[in-house]
Amino acid sequence: MEILKSVFNYLVFPGLLFSVFAGLMAGWIDRKVSARLQWRVGPPWHQNFTDIIKLSGKETIFPQGGKFTFLLSPFLGFLSASLVAAILGWSILNPDKSFSSDLIVVLYLLLVPAVAIILGASASRNPLASVGASREMKMVLAYELPFILAVIAMIIKSSGAIQLGKVINHQLFFGSNVFSFSGFLAFVSIIFCMQAKLGLVPFDASEAEQEIMGGALIEYSGLGLALFKLTKAVMLYTMPLFVIILFIGRDLSPLFVILKFVGILVIIILIKNTNPRLRIDQAMRFFWRVPTVLSVIAVVLAIFGK
Amino acid sequence: MNFFQLFKLDSLNGFVVLAIGFFTVLALVYSSKFMQAKRGLVQYYLYMVITAICAIGAVLTNNLVLLLFFWGILGLTLYLLVNLGGEGANLAAKKTFVIVGGTDALMLLGISILYFLSGSIQMDEINISLTGNSSGLGLAAYLLIAAACFAKAGAMPFHSWIPDCADKAPLPVVAYLPAAVDKLLGIYLLARISLYLFVLSPAVNMFLMIAGAVTIIAAVMMALIQHNMKRLLGYHAVSQVGYMLLGIGTGTAVGIAGAIFHMLNNSIYKQCFFLAAGNVEQKTGTTELNKLGGLAKTMPITYISCLFASFSICGIPPFNGFVSKWMIYQGVIERLSSGFNGLIVAFCLVAAMFGSSLTLASFMKLIHAVFLGQRMNQQENKEISEVKWQMWMPPAILALICVVFGVFANQIPLRYFIQPILGNIVFSGWYAGVTTLIIMIALFSGVVIFYLNTKTVYRKDQAFVGGEALDSDAHAVTGTEFYNTVKDIGLMRMVYKKAEAGVFDIYEQGKKIFRVSDFLRFLHNGIMPTYLIWMLLGMLGLFFFLR
Repeated sequence: MEILKSVFNYLVFPGLLFSVFAGLMAGWIDRKVSARLQWRVGPPWHQNFTDIIKLSGKETIFPQGGKFTFLLSPFLGFLSASLVAAILGWSILNPDKSFSSDLIVVLYLLLVPAVAIILGASASRNPLASVGASREMKMVLAYELPFILAVIAMIIKSSGAIQLGKVINHQLFFGSNVFSFSGFLAFVSIIFCMQAKLGLVPFDASEAEQEIMGGALIEYSGLGLALFKLTKAVMLYTMPLFVIILFIGRDLSPLFVILKFVGILVIIILIKNTNPRLRIDQAMRFFWRVPTVLSVIAVVLAIFGK
Repeated sequence: MNFFQLFKLDSLNGFVVLAIGFFTVLALVYSSKFMQAKRGLVQYYLYMVITAICAIGAVLTNNLVLLLFFWGILGLTLYLLVNLGGEGANLAAKKTFVIVGGTDALMLLGISILYFLSGSIQMDEINISLTGNSSGLGLAAYLLIAAACFAKAGAMPFHSWIPDCADKAPLPVVAYLPAAVDKLLGIYLLARISLYLFVLSPAVNMFLMIAGAVTIIAAVMMALIQHNMKRLLGYHAVSQVGYMLLGIGTGTAVGIAGAIFHMLNNSIYKQCFFLAAGNVEQKTGTTELNKLGGLAKTMPITYISCLFASFSICGIPPFNGFVSKWMIYQGVIERLSSGFNGLIVAFCLVAAMFGSSLTLASFMKLIHAVFLGQRMNQQENKEISEVKWQMWMPPAILALICVVFGVFANQIPLRYFIQPILGNIVFSGWYAGVTTLIIMIALFSGVVIFYLNTKTVYRKDQAFVGGEALDSDAHAVTGTEFYNTVKDIGLMRMVYKKAEAGVFDIYEQGKKIFRVSDFLRFLHNGIMPTYLIWMLLGMLGLFFFLR
């Protein structure tokens, strides 16, 4: 019975199916707001669903060699992204029942979609995909340092809690983490990291359509491509949720979660629509300077209890 | 003297002996094919067996002098085995012998001090506290013995023999000694002295943690820019030791358990890596990354083993490397406090977590350059096929253990190997079983969807490069230039230049200190009258002194 319940949690709510739905809807908000900013009308709400369904019915072309890795790595990324969604959703619903030290598990699982993209790109035997893979990995190195620092600042802030439920409970008593010096700095830093983790402009050098034609995803078609798109959608739901839990987790009733989620989404969309793409070395320099310094200050402040 | 006082089996060394035996068997099976046509096989197998016996002796012994004896023989066989490699192996062997042998001498001094302090050479009778004020000698003894452990395991600053050795020695030797058994020995002895022989003070704990954090970051940064598969793996063999030092340094139950578990895991996947590298070398004749590529299709078993080991070393859940790293992080986080100490602990935590991303980066480069990516030298690669079973089976077994130890961490390794050491502490969390089951089901259903979905068509085609003709030699991205951007960023460039010039290499720096010996060499000119004059002067001095 317990196993059935976890299977349900993982596959339906708040895991795979729900996160796909929420992610695609978030993607629609993204497309609609971007369109309005550019004085276009924008797609109807079901456009993303239609796209995915259409894509998964299309022919799958795989390049010569590396078939096993090429076909399985989209699943790897998609499954781990939705697993994160399940863990996060579960700990919002039952803060007291989350398993111990799940925060670190989440941190590592959030890395897996990038790994999946890199492996898939490497397996596709395409020089442009290799360039994309290299850029993706460098981007991971760039944002991971400030990201880890920001998360550690919040771990210290929540008096050493590495359990999502405890982080939430801590904020329930002491107010949201963002309303402190360290919390605010870490929040600013993590917003940038989130943008890069989602692979959105200005940090989308690994997929730069104009230079390397989709880079890492160039050889993908059909179901594989659909799965990578779904992974992105799930991440678009998961990452803001993670930030909400860490930083603004005081009131997590459904209405407030949705409001906060939309708020963060708007920040993401604004950054995306007002910035040009950075070159990979510019992005690395940026991440190792501004957000890293912000996060380091946040960690120091958090240690001294600010 | 009672025989049972010489050797003692307890929960800490029991599973280490088991692991050494297991690794020996795998290395010997592997060597039976790899070393087949090489010279000096009698010596090779003899040294391997002596190594195995002495390693087991060193782990089981309860007598410090006996430990020193076994430890010394291990240093000697290591030298002899490294020397069996090809060109340039003698220099690597010399370096190994100087560093390992030199620290063995330090250990002798440390054990003498220990005897002076406690009046016993039985390990289970010694218990020295480093917390008091008058513990200077005890601290010296601890640090001297720890230096030998650092050198054996390859922690900084005694690490520099491992990359050289990995590059030059025969690969089964590297996979067996520096990658697996030496790690077990070094960390086992460190754990033994840190947990049983001494009671550590907070300052020593902090020292271990910082040494660990620096080792992790510095070695992995060097690994990132390597062009040779063996050297890259060698630097990772150094980097992973940092996690174990960090875990032992935390002094918390979960941290120490994590460190010991990581020691076991690291030996498993590191041996897997070096054996896989041996397969690649056997089939292609090189381990230079820019000459390899696209081997996944021709050597699938080696590829899958290497991929699983990579997932494991990078700490991707649910592989075994994740579980042990995750325990170490918990231990470090338990030590977080406010004030200056908290800052250092936070630094160690960041180093460990970011080090893990850097590890991921360099292994993605390795996988891309060797197994995936574009195929180099198409004509030559056509004849490559999977190696013989004696060579693919050991890495495959090790990769399988990586998965099993990760998924069933609580049920098998933690329960039987790690928990007995620490008594009644129970680890909670990470019920990987259910999650993995779901992932397995989902992956399996993915495969089924792929094969059952008859409506969609699968087609094989050339890679698309914007309509140009694909010339794999001209267009190939080898992976060696993956991280040139990192290498070129301001401060990094300077540090890398210094590192490549050997500024952080204790062996190169040690040479400078021993410039003193140049004067002695100048005196030793081999001319009889010079020596006579010195003897005369010496006698005069002696007479003057005894006057």
